[in-house]
Amino acid sequence: MTETLKGRRILVVEDESLVAMLLETILDDMGCETVGPISNVAEAVRLIEGGEPLHGALLDVNVAGFEVFPAAMALEARGVPFVFSTGYGEGGLPEEWKGRITLQKPFTEVAVEAALKRALGA
Amino acid sequence: MPSWTGNRLKQLVLSGDHDVDLAAVFDASPNSYVLVTPDLEIVGVNEAFLKVTSSVRQDIIGKPIFSVFTGGDGEGALENRRQVRASMERALRDRQPDHLALVAFAIRRQHRDGTPFFEERLWSATHTPIFNREGKIAFILQHTADVTELEALRRMRTDVTSPQTALDVMTGGDVLRRAQQVQITNMKLEAERNRLIEMFMQAPGFVAVLTGPDHIFQILNPAYSQLIGHRDIVGKPVLDALPEVANQGYIDILDHVFQTGEPYEGRKSRLQLQRVPGARLEDVYLNFIYQPIRDEEGEVLGIFVHGHDVTNDVIAADRQKLMIDELNHRVKNTLATVQSIAMQTARSHLDIASFARSFQARLIALSHTHDLLTRSHWEGAELVDVLLHETQAHGHNRIRLDGPAISLSPSAALSLGMIIHELATNAAKYGALSSPGGLVTIDWYLESLQERRLVLNWRETGGPGVTPPTRRGFGARLIERNIRHDLAGTLVLDYATSGLNAKMTFSLDSSAVE
Repeated sequence: MTETLKGRRILVVEDESLVAMLLETILDDMGCETVGPISNVAEAVRLIEGGEPLHGALLDVNVAGFEVFPAAMALEARGVPFVFSTGYGEGGLPEEWKGRITLQKPFTEVAVEAALKRALGA
Repeated sequence: MPSWTGNRLKQLVLSGDHDVDLAAVFDASPNSYVLVTPDLEIVGVNEAFLKVTSSVRQDIIGKPIFSVFTGGDGEGALENRRQVRASMERALRDRQPDHLALVAFAIRRQHRDGTPFFEERLWSATHTPIFNREGKIAFILQHTADVTELEALRRMRTDVTSPQTALDVMTGGDVLRRAQQVQITNMKLEAERNRLIEMFMQAPGFVAVLTGPDHIFQILNPAYSQLIGHRDIVGKPVLDALPEVANQGYIDILDHVFQTGEPYEGRKSRLQLQRVPGARLEDVYLNFIYQPIRDEEGEVLGIFVHGHDVTNDVIAADRQKLMIDELNHRVKNTLATVQSIAMQTARSHLDIASFARSFQARLIALSHTHDLLTRSHWEGAELVDVLLHETQAHGHNRIRLDGPAISLSPSAALSLGMIIHELATNAAKYGALSSPGGLVTIDWYLESLQERRLVLNWRETGGPGVTPPTRRGFGARLIERNIRHDLAGTLVLDYATSGLNAKMTFSLDSSAVE
């Protein structure tokens, strides 16, 4: 079942070290390659705009007090699919980003995998 | 001559001193009179009244006045009756004559063929209380003058070539006197109006009256004046008075209220005001109502504006929502952190008992740092306190601490707490703290005072010889991640034969982390 995501390069933007490590472990189990984890938005934007090869991304909505949306826009400009992760719940996304694929924290391995598959159309 | 109420009236109203039959005089008067009890029951009428109302004495005596004189069946009849009744009630209440300058009241007439119809007439009326010997009101005397033609003249006065005719009628005594009474009533109204304006002025909410299609400020109270920054705006249209509101939609709403006559209510409505000339716009939030002001014909003449500044409420509600969101974010992040610790600890522990020990120890390490931070209201923690907290389980005599007093930000304290916990756990399992003679020395200093870069050395001695691990476990990954990402620092691990040396360097300025 994890075959479909094998070898995909997934960017992780997450400021909480332990959560970032967990995502890294989960992605590793699925055969994905983790890009990052990156713990600040400006660096994420630089990396995305710099043309880093990416198949998808997991974006924490609140990265050390900053909203991750500039990174989301940069990904959208490149056509790279992404998944938001948030502790704010359903109402946590502002109007213009509502309805996007979202992971609710805390998340299970199964939920991460399902969300990524949906986003990547895998 | 029929002795209408003659004897009763004589007994009650008149003293016996007169040798003139005053009732007869009354009856002979060209003015029409009707006498009613305080319960508004007709007890007497004079000839003129019977003539004016086309009624027959026996039909109306002893009847409630408004059951025989209904004022017709038109739409206004109810209101006309109410006005006359109100005047009578005022006379009863105030114990003095009450004047109705002008009131419409239809009278029953008959067509030539005998079929009845109502004819609209206009009246001027006075209600005078009549007292008995005890000083109680026994009757109300109603004196009415039919002013239908006079009123028609007044309305036509612009067309009348010689105003003399209208004046002639008006100066005809009775009407003039009543006009003077109306004047007095007007003065009372003026006083009433001033009281009302005073109430506007003292109202805690803001109040303004706008007049005309351009919404010219007619009056405003001090609360309104304070709201707009004490600008002098009376007599100016809204657009000139408050130019900054031009494109905020409020003038469109005022136009709509003025054109349609429909009131408008705004709730927590944002308005940007320039209270000081040249200053930037300030946001205020208002609850307000635009109420159309109409004349007697129902035409909208202006708009009454009243409301409250609810800016503080809106800000407080926003702040509360922000705090609830932030709390939710932190709780969910903490749970995600605990989940991460649980899952990754599980990977390196095959049996449940050792998993539980290790998992709990990590949770407690996290919790210790939280305790430290809570004590300082999350303003930060002392480095030495963090080190002591995370190593005390291994015995004070096994740990040496050496360095200056350093304050850590909350996030740096949490990261360093976890790092020290992992190092101590590792030392207890494989390093210096696993053998009785082993020792850990932690020393630190500021490498650069300007950049506040801290160097912290963890040195193990007296333990079994160490070798670099073949695979990096969770502990090692956690240390590295915390140093490199959370603290934006560097880590050098030296697996010396004498024991592990770890050298950490990071900036104490939290701004450098981001």
